[in-house]
Amino acid sequence: MLSSAALLAATLATSGLSAKEVLPFIADDYPKALAVARAEKKPIFLETWAPW
Amino acid sequence: MRAFVFTDKALGRQAGRFVWLSINTEKRENAAVLAKYPIQASPTLFVIDPVAEKIVLKYVGAATVPQLQRILDDGARAAGHGRKGRKPDELLAKADALYAAGQTKEAAEAFRAALKGMPTSSPSYPRTVESLLYALSVSRQHEACAIVAKDAFPHLKSSPSAANVAGSGLDCALSMDKAVPSRSALVADLARDANQVLTGPRKGLAVDDVSSLYLTVAEERDSAGDAAGKQKVLEELASYLEAEAAKGKTPDARAAFDAHRITAYLALGQPERGIPMLEQSEKDFPDDYNPPARLALAYRGMKKYDEALAASDRALLRAYGPRKLVILNARADIYDKKGDPALARKTREDALAWAESLPKEQVSERQIAALKKQLETPK
Repeated sequence: MLSSAALLAATLATSGLSAKEVLPFIADDYPKALAVARAEKKPIFLETWAPW
Repeated sequence: MRAFVFTDKALGRQAGRFVWLSINTEKRENAAVLAKYPIQASPTLFVIDPVAEKIVLKYVGAATVPQLQRILDDGARAAGHGRKGRKPDELLAKADALYAAGQTKEAAEAFRAALKGMPTSSPSYPRTVESLLYALSVSRQHEACAIVAKDAFPHLKSSPSAANVAGSGLDCALSMDKAVPSRSALVADLARDANQVLTGPRKGLAVDDVSSLYLTVAEERDSAGDAAGKQKVLEELASYLEAEAAKGKTPDARAAFDAHRITAYLALGQPERGIPMLEQSEKDFPDDYNPPARLALAYRGMKKYDEALAASDRALLRAYGPRKLVILNARADIYDKKGDPALARKTREDALAWAESLPKEQVSERQIAALKKQLETPK
């Protein structure tokens, strides 16, 4: 199992955020968001949406 | 919100305050997240404390940029990450917690209590009113909802919440039992407020909110037996949405209005008006099931059933999750209208099998019961 810090490092390395994004959303990955939020001590903003 | 709000540079100051997560509620793999954070409508926005995995704020519906700024500021504060020196509003936090727990009746009482001591100039006032209206509406307290909207509207008529407050209130008033004596006065007052929004400057209002408001005003005209008035309102809505779509500089920005536009065209009895935009959207977004699913509805409205079925075929190839149910239901109805009861039945059987295969977070027992009932009813 990855530690939170390792997961965070992996997340940051693979998130591939484009410079144009204002809010760096993580898509469809709650465990990843939870790990980052706990590591960074930040609340999660969750947007639930449907593609229609 | 995805096309216009989350991309607004004004939100840049919020970027580092939260971890941002988006969940497509239609994907099977997201059912576990929905079990943890249930929703009744889409979009629903949450602020979550990641340590306890607890919701500290929930907001139902789309928000404009200023509304979202408020939600984020309140959410950060409720999660204990607010600016120093600002005390959280305990009554509001309590209401938010009840609301988040799905206790809408208790939440409505708590939002009402929070509103009592809150100046109408408070930055949290609009959100508190909107949450109270939603909680009252969901717990079917229609008269109370209409009265809250009527009383709050004068304070919010120049704010981004104006359309939502007038529209939710009018919708509640229309949902009241016709025998209730206060109904007609509440409908009249809220229809006046709604028309004030529609004829006034619309700067700062979300297009979704204005569009929904037009539909509610059209419903009000319908309930008053004014067919010509209803048609006039729907025509204004169609023109408004066409003008908004024309402003879109990208395919995303233009197609963001497709759902509202096809609703307006179908209500107007002019489904053919939606064909060019939907054909364009199908070209622009070849993996998206929405354009062909909407084309199927437009062709059904035009009684062109073979074209409707061909579009439905294309939609089903790309569809997944609960939306596939809606597409299959529409397809069964197309077969009924075409005069093919055997294929209509077969399609409903497919729909039921699909519904029963979905995680319980993505389909309601009511939907499954309705499908079973349709299959039991002889045609």
